[in-house]
Amino acid sequence: MLIASRRRLILIGLLLAIGAALSLLSRSFLTLDNLMTLLQEASQTGIVAIGFTLVLITAGIDMSIGAVIAVTAMVCANFLTYTHIPAALFIPMSLGVGLLVGAFNGFFITRFKLPEFIVTLASRGILAGLALIIAVKDSMGFVSNVYIQDPVYLSFGGTIGPVYIITIVFFAMAFLTQSFLKRTRAGTNVYATGANPTAARLSGINTKRSIYGVYMFSGFCASIAAIFISSRMMTAMPDFGIGSEMDVIASVVIGGTPFTGGVGDIWGTVLGTLFLALIKNGILKLGISPYVQPIAIGGIIVVVVILDVWYKSYAEGQARRSARRARESDSRSAAA
Amino acid sequence: MLKTRKFEAVFVALFLLVAGMSLSAQTNYKIGYLPSTIGQALTKAWGVGIDNALKAAGNPPAIALDAMMKAETQVSMMDDLINQGCNLIILQPIDAAALTASVKKAESKGIPVITLNTDTLAPHFACVTMDDFGAGAMIADAVGKQLGGKGNVAIIQSPPGALAGVNREKGFRATLAKDYPNVKIVGAQNAEWDKNKAIAVMNGFLQANKQLDAVFAVNDNMAEGAAIAAESAGRHVLIYGFNGQMSTLAQIEQGKVTGTAYTNAYDQGATAAKLALQVLKAGTKTFTKTDVVIVPPFLATKDNVGSIPASSRW
Repeated sequence: MLIASRRRLILIGLLLAIGAALSLLSRSFLTLDNLMTLLQEASQTGIVAIGFTLVLITAGIDMSIGAVIAVTAMVCANFLTYTHIPAALFIPMSLGVGLLVGAFNGFFITRFKLPEFIVTLASRGILAGLALIIAVKDSMGFVSNVYIQDPVYLSFGGTIGPVYIITIVFFAMAFLTQSFLKRTRAGTNVYATGANPTAARLSGINTKRSIYGVYMFSGFCASIAAIFISSRMMTAMPDFGIGSEMDVIASVVIGGTPFTGGVGDIWGTVLGTLFLALIKNGILKLGISPYVQPIAIGGIIVVVVILDVWYKSYAEGQARRSARRARESDSRSAAA
Repeated sequence: MLKTRKFEAVFVALFLLVAGMSLSAQTNYKIGYLPSTIGQALTKAWGVGIDNALKAAGNPPAIALDAMMKAETQVSMMDDLINQGCNLIILQPIDAAALTASVKKAESKGIPVITLNTDTLAPHFACVTMDDFGAGAMIADAVGKQLGGKGNVAIIQSPPGALAGVNREKGFRATLAKDYPNVKIVGAQNAEWDKNKAIAVMNGFLQANKQLDAVFAVNDNMAEGAAIAAESAGRHVLIYGFNGQMSTLAQIEQGKVTGTAYTNAYDQGATAAKLALQVLKAGTKTFTKTDVVIVPPFLATKDNVGSIPASSRW
């Protein structure tokens, strides 16, 4: 517990240090507009990352999240182009896309015991194709991206005061999901399913339900992100979100949730997404060549993860040594 | 005597240098350059054209960012250029609809936007564009004439929704349908602007069609890929590309590629940069109508490709 919170503090320290360095290096970094854009970017990845964290805690992986974003956006585009159903009605309906895909993933993973990666990669492919098939086309059959003007729909891309609505939703979702994980039995079951599925099953936990639950939630989060992305861009494109999986995975792993399952939490993911958004935002302002930028981003991520892993093993070793010393001194005093 | 002369010479040189610097350092505008990706010959050449024109006017080069072919990335980079306090942004929108909100946002903050090749739906300062539809039609005309109005052609497409490629294809299809009804389009596949993928797509066309007379690839990379596939299959197919990059012009000279719609991308970039400096000096901030500047394409074939000088090849 102590080690985990110290690791968290190190990440916060790094976040602040890099933020301070960027403020010194670039005059346009520490401005209200830029910080709000940074938070908006972080939230876009972060909302998806919240769902993904739960999947990773069960030792699974969800490669379909990007394509869920694409299909959800295309479903909305269809509603906007071909129907007069108000946005307030069809938006909740389109969130069903993520839930459905999640149930599909959960079914194949639990029923046929297929590897999570393969199942979700397959659904990624299917959905990416589906997004193109249902995309709005012009008279010659070419995909033509709609220009969204529905005021209710566009309000999702707006702000309250200086803060983007997506940022508020992101932090609210983070808070609720963290409470779910730590304060409910279903949340504990998610951890148990990831830590040791056999032990969890033998102790009477319905691991299948946990698995269905996390994939459906992951898809749901991706669908929510789709609404915000398309309202920000005032359009929906069939390749929305595809490729964004990598940012989501990186954010969650930087936040301290490992691929091995059983551990991790949402505040770590929040920090991870903020961290990634900070680097990506800052790197653009340093005037370095665009060819070098991805290398710098990759390099910083590696350094952060190395620091984190190194500190973890150091701290655990330290804890073991002090425990041994305590035992030895106990037995010595007992002998005396 | 000699010594003083040397001294004088140094003095004069120094004076000229200082004078030159003060003369040339006339403007110091921060200009952003945001193409769909910086990894392509076309966008590189635009960048060189822009920077050269800016340097000639004594302005620092543009801040170039790479949107890596993703509209979402391009939108967040637009926000970034706005936050960085750019005075003007030169943008090649990945998608017309997707970048409209960003262009509106920039111009509402007093940052004029010049678009390259793809217009957006909102009026903005200027659009310096190749005539994609017209050039597609020009190539259809060349193909139709060469085939004597009869034959099978295939199209190697750009990704769905990529407006520039789509307009080239539309121009091509419309002209064939109108003027050469007996030229049949036997296939159309997306090769994502990519040479390697175009080889696979072309192989598919060659296997599916015993008789394939011509192929129109909506960019040069894909035309080069098609040429590789046709050559290794030992089939003679007319291959047309689009853009006119240096490597393709060389392949036209060698007879591997039949022709391409050539545009001088250096000039196009320079035109955008000159427009940028003009509007910034004038201080105009609001635009009710987009000023569309069309860069005319030129059909480069083996007969006339030699007339394109080395300095205009990119």
